[in-house]
Amino acid sequence: MSGTAVTAGLTTAIAEQKDRLLPCVHCGFCLPACPTYNRLGDEADSPRGRLHLMQAVVEGRLDPASDAFRTHIDRCLGCRACEPVCPSGVEYGILLEYARETSAAANPPDLLTRALLAVMGSAPARAFFFLGGRLLRGTGIAAAATRVLPGRGVLGSARLGLAMLASSTPWRAGSGRGTRVGADAAAGADTPATSSARVGMLSGCVQQGLYGRVNEATRRVLRANGFEVVEVRGQDCCGALHAHAGALEGARALARRNIDAFERAGVELVVVNAAGCGASMKEYGTLLEHDDLYADRARLFSETVRDVTELLAAAGPRAGAEVACRVAYDHPCHLLHAQGIRDAPLRVLAAVPGVDVHVVENADECCGGAGIYGITHPDLGGRIGGDKVRAVSAVDPDAVTTPNPGCMMQIAAGLRLEGSSAGAVHPVELLDESYRRAGYYRA
Amino acid sequence: MSLPLSPDLVTHLNDAVGRDHVITDPNRLFVYESDGLTQYRVAPRAVVLPATTDELAAVVSLLHGERIPVVPRGSGTGLSGGALPSEDAVVVGTARMNRILAIDSENRLARVQPGVVNGRLTEAAQPHGLYYAPDPSSQSTCTLGGNVAENSGGPHCLKYGVTGRYVTGLTVVLADGEVVRLGGAGRMPDGALDLVGLFVGSEGCFGIAAEIEVRLLPVSEGVRTLLGIFDSMEDAGRAVTAIIAAGMLPAALEIVDQATIRAVEASVYAAGYPVDAGAALVIEFDGTEAGLDADAAQAEKCCREAGARDVQHAVDEAHRAALWKGRKKAFGAMGRIAPDLLVQDATVPRTRLPDVLAGVADIGRRYGLEIANVFHAGDGNLHPNIIFDRHDPDQLARVEKASKEIMALCVDAGGTITGEHGVGVDKRQYMHLVHGPRELAAMAEVKAAFDPDGLFNPGKVLPAVESDGVGPTGVSRGTKVGGARAETEPSAEQVAERGTAARPADTVEVVEMVMDAGRQGHCVVPIGTGRHLDRAIDEERCLVLSTEQVAGIEIYEPADLTLTARAGTPLRELAETLAPHDQWLPFDPPDVGGRTLGGLVASGLSGPLGCGYGALRNHVLGATVVCGDGRELRLGGRVVKNVAGFDLLRPVVGSRGSLAVVTSVCVRLFPVPQVDRVLVARAASTAGLVEAARAVACAPLLPASTVLAVGASGLDGGAALLVRLHGARATVDADQATLERVAGRAFDALEGGEARGFTEVVRDHPSAAGVGCLAVFPSRLGEALGTLDATLGAVPLVADAYEGRIRFGFDADAVLRLGELRRLVEASGGSLGFERAPSGTHTEIEAARTPLDPRASALAERVRKVFDPGGTFSPMRAASVLSGGER
Repeated sequence: MSGTAVTAGLTTAIAEQKDRLLPCVHCGFCLPACPTYNRLGDEADSPRGRLHLMQAVVEGRLDPASDAFRTHIDRCLGCRACEPVCPSGVEYGILLEYARETSAAANPPDLLTRALLAVMGSAPARAFFFLGGRLLRGTGIAAAATRVLPGRGVLGSARLGLAMLASSTPWRAGSGRGTRVGADAAAGADTPATSSARVGMLSGCVQQGLYGRVNEATRRVLRANGFEVVEVRGQDCCGALHAHAGALEGARALARRNIDAFERAGVELVVVNAAGCGASMKEYGTLLEHDDLYADRARLFSETVRDVTELLAAAGPRAGAEVACRVAYDHPCHLLHAQGIRDAPLRVLAAVPGVDVHVVENADECCGGAGIYGITHPDLGGRIGGDKVRAVSAVDPDAVTTPNPGCMMQIAAGLRLEGSSAGAVHPVELLDESYRRAGYYRA
Repeated sequence: MSLPLSPDLVTHLNDAVGRDHVITDPNRLFVYESDGLTQYRVAPRAVVLPATTDELAAVVSLLHGERIPVVPRGSGTGLSGGALPSEDAVVVGTARMNRILAIDSENRLARVQPGVVNGRLTEAAQPHGLYYAPDPSSQSTCTLGGNVAENSGGPHCLKYGVTGRYVTGLTVVLADGEVVRLGGAGRMPDGALDLVGLFVGSEGCFGIAAEIEVRLLPVSEGVRTLLGIFDSMEDAGRAVTAIIAAGMLPAALEIVDQATIRAVEASVYAAGYPVDAGAALVIEFDGTEAGLDADAAQAEKCCREAGARDVQHAVDEAHRAALWKGRKKAFGAMGRIAPDLLVQDATVPRTRLPDVLAGVADIGRRYGLEIANVFHAGDGNLHPNIIFDRHDPDQLARVEKASKEIMALCVDAGGTITGEHGVGVDKRQYMHLVHGPRELAAMAEVKAAFDPDGLFNPGKVLPAVESDGVGPTGVSRGTKVGGARAETEPSAEQVAERGTAARPADTVEVVEMVMDAGRQGHCVVPIGTGRHLDRAIDEERCLVLSTEQVAGIEIYEPADLTLTARAGTPLRELAETLAPHDQWLPFDPPDVGGRTLGGLVASGLSGPLGCGYGALRNHVLGATVVCGDGRELRLGGRVVKNVAGFDLLRPVVGSRGSLAVVTSVCVRLFPVPQVDRVLVARAASTAGLVEAARAVACAPLLPASTVLAVGASGLDGGAALLVRLHGARATVDADQATLERVAGRAFDALEGGEARGFTEVVRDHPSAAGVGCLAVFPSRLGEALGTLDATLGAVPLVADAYEGRIRFGFDADAVLRLGELRRLVEASGGSLGFERAPSGTHTEIEAARTPLDPRASALAERVRKVFDPGGTFSPMRAASVLSGGER
């Protein structure tokens, strides 16, 4: 394909979205919500500025291959904190994906990003990749390497990557200070299981590869609350990573596969324990809106997707036994901003007696995880991540808890590199431990 | 296409702020091609983002070196195109100057950089029980620097006023990069022109505020929110009139019309307002919990009697948000249904709202445009929103014409072309509707006083050609006289020779006399009654010009809560006119009753009531003045929200006759409070009362005034703390209990004649040969009183505990010790000034005065020249000790 043809072809990805760009009235309400704008002060790094750049591409005033377009579209974390504050309801997240598709076609993304997407899109490659990851983690090589690698340059990126890997190890309440094992195992057992919905769980890619224990905890906790959790065969990666990188065709292929798999399993609800995946699956309807075969099915599918905390909070989760620990809670962007869920995880944590929850300062702001942002944008990612680590450290927690694997890894890696011993744990893991101590799983 | 900057300049800018913060790539620059008003788009040559005052000054200085225009930009949310770049300009953004430098909870002050977002300041102040009052609808994103530039209002400014009321000091960077400090806590405002007030609302045309000092308020104890649903706009309007007439002062009174309700209800923001309703009225009260239920009940009664079909009371915070939703989401909802939305902005006297709304509807019908109205009903500020598609040239043309007609309609109704969005680039074409060529020329000259090369935000606010399109309403009457008539009238010289004051009968005669005096090289000393002018006049060279004969009330519409009267009208007479309508002017400087309205304005004195009501300068809405060369200028207007052009009125208020002769004034009025109670605590000396005064000043409520007095008659040589509480009886009772709790002591409570007598005695105190004035941080009041005692011994004094101002009496013997007093006061961040000098001590007194900042003085002098180019009003007068002129 010649360069011109590519350019002509690409403009269309964002150009087709011009009706979605129209509601932006340039009011600027999104500016202070944006982590990159807050730190850089350049409006080209704000949601309004990026929308303006997209509009300029649509109008033919800006070359999508330009450094300006690529840099500023790339530099977006995709946290979508701009969406809830937008008075005109601009669907920024979707527009960003199309803009990235346009940008990626003009300037193919870096090798690392492309390789990661290829791996996540293929189950066998993924299995091999995460096996390697678990080996590095299990042998302690990852943790050891973070101590010897330098903090900057290519090796610095490798150090961050390995720190993230090392930090995905389980954290167990009871290893922290002042922890008392719940004496009264039956204390919270008075809540009867009320729900009987038949649900299927997304296993996910990173979640299954590095946080298999969270998936297991999710199954146990849901069952303890009366849900029927069925195995869903043939499911795949949700496609969020692809969509965020602008590889929309790859994302659509994965979405179709998941829709097929969950339909076959005949579940009423699809439960997801990774906020990024849930947000993406709740938007399959939009992703496949022009797919004749799948548009309606995707829309219906999206309506059945629930975050695990959303599902548990709605059911009024059963209380377990005491798990005494001090945790820092941080909102995952794709739960808070993309799905509009603020209280559900806190209500899940409230079902665990003894947990002392502290919502960190600026918990509404992105932790800088955003996929591999810390590696692709080391300076800015480091600043954003550093601010989050400081906010978490200010709580002086035994662990940080947040219901998204990317955020867990990002914050825990930051804490590790700062020499903190605090771990990371999914809220459902804490509930699971509470149930275990309460003896709900003995039968 | 804009011209790239020279490589050398880019290098220097990079060195000044770091290369990441200098944007020159044309592909990046068009992100900055417009602000919140997208009809206009021009990309700048570059964008520079400094982070500190020094960086900002360096950047501005570099640009000045090459005479490159500067367009300041905050969050770029303005709706009048104020931050629109030009092709030859560089945008200087304040986004990185976003630090809150200090929150001084003791003195209720904050110091911030200009890029701090309005809402963030309130968030930061909240842990101290304080907040920043002006709340423009964009407060979650607009910056305080932008607020200063636009003199921003908001839904709650009916009760609390606009930005200008809260800005106490500024550090500004002028066009050549010079950094000038204006005002500031602990500084003596007397003797200096109100340059802070002049700078506020200058729309980036004077310079950039690099540091802003603002006053914070205590968070209200309670809030009540009501939503009234009406069948018609007329009914809603009657409800508003009834609420105002009942003497209530709600925090907000907001109306949305039927078209807006329909747009909101059809959007994702549906608030549950009935779509067949003619209007919805949001009413909010805040303040002391105890009085709020009564207010809410009375407001409901007003609504019901006006024919409301439904009145809801918010039961909790979520419900309150729901009631507000239809108002707050109006723009967003309309933005979603419209390809383009023009948010118009104008203000009219409140009573004219019904006619004006009918007129707006008629204009919409005639041009086939859908116009939906959202407005601040309490202060007459309308926002007609016009939905259109900019890609349709015919529609665009109709929008233009309709906008122009709406502006003319509002001006004809006694209003103005913008209440809070500013003139920017969008409304320059309408400036002729409200200002005559002379006023526009004066504005241009004041801009030149700040920015001689015209480099700051060129092409904004002032119309391109000043002589064209002279409108019918704003033109100053031709009063430039001379020739035959001037010669037949008594000359200034004759008057001066007689040694008596000239008493012109009207503005025309004022003009003649001022011009004559100017021609003959005489200096003009404007006075009201002259009772507060205690200096000797050199009758050979001075014309004392009394405006006492230029008297009488011109316009008084009680329901508008405004009054226009000629300058010579005695305040005592004014009070008599207002009393039957239960209205008043809440100012209490010494001998307030013995002053004229013009004299009060010239003095700029509010008295201690400035605590509860805001300073006088915030409530002078308009004035007609005669300048030193005889030009008659009409400044401001007669509406409570007015940002049409530079605020030339602000430096006139408090200028003590050094800029112009005031001949007519429009002021905002207030409802007389149901209860006026004075709480009194007595002690042998201030030592036992300072702590209580400080406790009152830090209490979570704002009394009408808090004053410490020593040596006033009736105190038997002792001291007293007087706290005045205004409001409904339940409110005042509760406030008294709160103050007794925080002060840890009981007060004697006085009301009626007894209270009035006592406050008057204290108000006019001290009367000594010399009167000095200390300005200090309120938290250092005790220290300052101690200093005073240590240097001058026991002196009669009155201290305003809220402002941190101490007026003290002294006699000629004490003059030698004033230098020591000044040294000590300045060492603790305060300043010393004088109102009156004992005879024969003028030189010593002058030396004891805290000098004005030389750069601010030079700037003030340039501003003064605009009003009085020939020095007719003896320029040294206001700055000198003898300046007590209009007191």
